[in-house]
Amino acid sequence: MADQEEQPSPKSPWVGRSISRREDERLLRGAGRFAADENVPGQLHAAILHSPHAHARIVSIDTTAAEAMPGVEVVITGQSSLDLWQPLPPSVDLVDMRLPESYALATEIVHYAGEPVAAVAASDPYLAQDAVNAISVSYEILEPILDRRKAIEPGSPLVYPDWPDNRQCLWEFSFGSVDEAFEKAEHVVSRDVAAHRYSAVPMEMRALVSRFDPVREELTVRVSTQIPHQARTILSWIFGLSENNIHILAEDVGGGFGNKLQLDVEPIPILLSIMSGKAVKWVERRDEWLTSAPASRDFEHRIEGAFSSDGALLAVRDHLIGDVGCDGAVRAGGAGALLVAGTYGPGPYKVQRYSTKVEIVVTNKAPYGAYRGFGKDVANLAMEFLMDEGAKSVGLDPLEIRRRNLVDNYPYEMATGPLIESGSFLSCLAKVEKAMDLPALKARQKAGLVDGKYFGYSVISVLEPSAATIPNSLFTGYESATVRLSPSGDVTVLTGMMHIGQGIETAAAQVTADLLGVIPESVRIVSGNTDSVPYGLGSFSSRGATYGLSAIHDAALVVRKKLLKAAANLLETDVTAVEIADGFATVIGAPEKTLSIPEIAKAVYFFPGPYIVLPDEKEPTLEAQAVWTNPQVSWTPDVHGRIRMYPAHASGAQGATVTVDPETGQVVVEDLWIAHDSGKMIHPKIVEGQIIGGTIQGFGGVMMEQLAYDQDGNMLSQTLADYQLPNFLSAPPVHVLHGEVNSPVTPLGTKGVGEAGAIGTPTVLMMAVENALTPLGVSVASSPLTPERVLKMIDGEKV
Amino acid sequence: MQFRLNGGDRKCKVSPRTLLVDVLRDECGTTSVHIGCDEGICGACTIFLDGESVKSCLVLAVQAEGKDVETLEGTGSGKELDVVQQAFGEEFALQCGFCTPGMVVSARALLKNNPNPTDQEIRAAMVGNLCRCTGYQNILKAVKKSAEKLQSG
Repeated sequence: MADQEEQPSPKSPWVGRSISRREDERLLRGAGRFAADENVPGQLHAAILHSPHAHARIVSIDTTAAEAMPGVEVVITGQSSLDLWQPLPPSVDLVDMRLPESYALATEIVHYAGEPVAAVAASDPYLAQDAVNAISVSYEILEPILDRRKAIEPGSPLVYPDWPDNRQCLWEFSFGSVDEAFEKAEHVVSRDVAAHRYSAVPMEMRALVSRFDPVREELTVRVSTQIPHQARTILSWIFGLSENNIHILAEDVGGGFGNKLQLDVEPIPILLSIMSGKAVKWVERRDEWLTSAPASRDFEHRIEGAFSSDGALLAVRDHLIGDVGCDGAVRAGGAGALLVAGTYGPGPYKVQRYSTKVEIVVTNKAPYGAYRGFGKDVANLAMEFLMDEGAKSVGLDPLEIRRRNLVDNYPYEMATGPLIESGSFLSCLAKVEKAMDLPALKARQKAGLVDGKYFGYSVISVLEPSAATIPNSLFTGYESATVRLSPSGDVTVLTGMMHIGQGIETAAAQVTADLLGVIPESVRIVSGNTDSVPYGLGSFSSRGATYGLSAIHDAALVVRKKLLKAAANLLETDVTAVEIADGFATVIGAPEKTLSIPEIAKAVYFFPGPYIVLPDEKEPTLEAQAVWTNPQVSWTPDVHGRIRMYPAHASGAQGATVTVDPETGQVVVEDLWIAHDSGKMIHPKIVEGQIIGGTIQGFGGVMMEQLAYDQDGNMLSQTLADYQLPNFLSAPPVHVLHGEVNSPVTPLGTKGVGEAGAIGTPTVLMMAVENALTPLGVSVASSPLTPERVLKMIDGEKV
Repeated sequence: MQFRLNGGDRKCKVSPRTLLVDVLRDECGTTSVHIGCDEGICGACTIFLDGESVKSCLVLAVQAEGKDVETLEGTGSGKELDVVQQAFGEEFALQCGFCTPGMVVSARALLKNNPNPTDQEIRAAMVGNLCRCTGYQNILKAVKKSAEKLQSG
C-alpha cells in the first residue's frame, strides 16, 4: 500500500492562485471595523467588577457609593439582576456532562478569581471604572480546589456542592480486544506526558456596543465573535427577546482561534443597555481577558502501547485527565476538546484495539474554551511520545516505526469510528525527513556539545481532523450561503463564515469568480450580519474551506446554470455551446458572439425580462441559497456506539531542531519544518500563513506562554509581559512543505488547514528537547519548556 | 489641549488622566490606533509623536500638548497605499489586521532611521509589536521589501 497520488486539478482562473487578499485594503488603511471602533452618540460605557477570590461566598455587596457618583446610570449585581435574565445556556451537552447553572454575574458563590460580580454603566469609561472601584463586596472565603488530581480524590471539597464529585464528565470507550493484545505483546511501553494551561490570546480582546430600543424591543449588538448567528440565538434565550428582533453585527474580528465562541461576559453590558435604554459600549482590558477569557490545554496522559517484535502497534490504552477550570460546557465549550482527544487518540496509525478513559475535572479556575487544536493536539502529544517509546523498546528508528504503522489505505475507519477519507501521511513524513537532512543532523549530534550546548531533533506525524459537527451543541455542522448576481451584474456572496484573519473573503471570492466567470474584485462578501445572511454556524474548527466554501460553491453553481441558460437563449445557441470567463459569456468557437455578464443580468431581470430570457425557469432571478452538509458525518451510533463527527482529515508531519544549554536551561528552537496535505489549496499563500501562524502559536504555548495560578488560585499572568507571547526575536523560522491530495468528499477537494501547525508543534518541541538531553537521561514529562523548568528536569526534579 | 494630528489642528477637552490612545480613538475618531493590551507590550497603538514612534497607551493626552501626532493615516497621498502598506499586502504580512497599523508605523519608524536594515535589525526594532496570526515571517519579508523599494526610489 502507498499514499494516494496527487491529481492535477482542472484549470481554473482563480482557485489555486495566491491573489491579493480582499480583506487587506481596509485593514492596511486602519479602516477595519472592529467592534470597539463603533461609537453611538450618547452611549454609556460599561465596566465590570471581578472577584479577587478563586472560591468564595458573596456575603453582601454595597453599591451605594458607586450609584451616587456623577455620571453613573446603572449598577447591577448578580442578585439585583436575577429576574432580568436567564442563566447562560450550555454550548455543548455531551455524554452526560454536568452543567453548572451560571449567570453572567455571580449570584452567591464565585468559582474563579476574575468571575464578574457587579457592573456599572456610566457616561465615561474612566468614570465607569471609578464606580466599579467604589463597589464594596464582603466575601466569605472558601477553600479553593486547584489541583486536578486532588479534585478527583474521594472526599475532596466540591466546586459545585450539588455534584457528587468534581468530574464534569467521564467518558470511557473501548474497541477491540485490547487487554488480550497487551497480554500477548512482545513489547509493552507506557508514557506519562502533560501540558500546562495556556490559550489563544488574540490581539483584540472582547468588545461590543449594544443598543436597545425599548419601544420595539429591538436589540442591536456589534460584537467581536466567531459565531454571530449563535450569538443572536443565545441572547434571545438569555433575555427572552424575540430572535427576529435581535441584530448581530460583526465585521472585522481581531483574531479568534476558538477563543470567541461563547458569550459568557458579553450579556453583562448588553443587560446594562436593556436596563438603561441607551447604547452601552464595553471594551475588555487585557488583564480581564487573561483572568476570565477561555483557557485551554492543562491535561495529563498516561498512555500505554503494545507492540509486536517488528514494531506493529497492536493496542493502545490511554487515560486522560483534563482540568477545565470551573466549566468547560456552559460558560465555554472546551470540555469537548478532551472528548475529541479521546476520539482521535489512535492518531494516524493503523491500530484497531484502543481504549480510553477521559476524566474532565472542574477546579476553581477560569472557564475552559476552544483553542486552535481543540483536542487533536492533546491526542497527538500522547501518541507521538508512545511511538518513540515503542521505537526504543523494539529497537527501531523512530521514523521507521511510524512508517510501519501509518495509515496508507483509504478510506480508513479508525478504531474510534472516524473515517479518514484520503491522505498522504507517508509522503508528508518523507518530505520532512528530506528537508531536515536527517543524516546531517545525526552527525551533528554525534559530534557532541558545541559551546556546552546539547543539540536535538525530532520528527512526528500529524493528523488534522477538521470541520467538527458536534451533536447537542451550538456547533452542529452545516453552513449556508447565498450568491446573488444583481441586475447590474455585480456579485454578492452572503456567508455564515466570519473574517477572523483566515482570508475567507478572498477564498470565497475566488470560488465564486471561477463559477460565475467574473473577477474576484467584483465579488462582495457579506458576513457577520444576521439580518441579511442565512443562518450559518460561523468560523471554527477549520471549517471554512470545507463547509463555508462548499455552500458558496453549491449556491454559485445554481446561479451559474441559470446564467449559462440565459446566455444561451440570448445568444441563440445551445447551453453546452456557451462558456463564461473574464466577465463575458461567449459562444465556443465564435468569439464574436458574446455578451457581458451585466448585459445578461440586465436582460434576465428587466430588459426584456425573465419570461423571455429564462422562460422555463421557475425561479428566474440570478440568486440562490445553499446549505452544505457533509455526507461523511454520521451521528447514528454503529453497533460499537461510534459516531463520525469530523468529516475532513488532513495529513501532516513535523520536524524540529533545538539546542539546550544545560547550565541555564535555555532552549533555542533553531528550525521548524511542517509538511501538510489539506487537499486542494484555494489560495496557497493563505494556507501557508495559516500553517506558519499555527506553528508559532504552538511554539509560544509550549515554550513560554502560561496562564499561571498561585496557591490561592490567583492569576499570576495578568499582563502580556507576564503571559509572554512569541515576538519578532523569539519566533523561529518555519519551513512549510505542501502536498495536495484532493478530498473525495468536498466539491472543491478541500480539507481544513487552520489548525495544522498548532496540533503537532508542542509535541515535536518537547520531543526534540528530550532528544537533546538524552545523554543526561532527561524525560520531558510536561510543558512549558521555560529555562527554570528545563533546569529542574536536568536536575532530575519532578516538574 | 491642542495638538496637530496628521497635519491638521485639533482641540479637545481632556481630563489629566486621559491616555493619548483614548483621545485619538474616541475624540478624534482615529480608530486605526488599536488597543491590544493597555500596558505598552503589544504595540498595536504605535504612533509618531513629534517624529518619534511611541506607544500611545503609555502617553497621557496632555503630554501631546502642542506636539505633532502622526498615525497610520499620516503618511501617503491618501488615495494610494504607501510603500510599506503595499509591501505588507504583497507579502501577506497580515491576517486579522488588528496589529497591522502599529506594525506599519513601527516599520516606517525603523526605515526612517535605518533605510537598509539587516534581518536582525528589523527583528530588534519591531520586537515591541506583537502579532498573533502571522508568526512574523511574512512581516519580516514585507519590511525588507519596503526597504528595497524605498532605496531604489
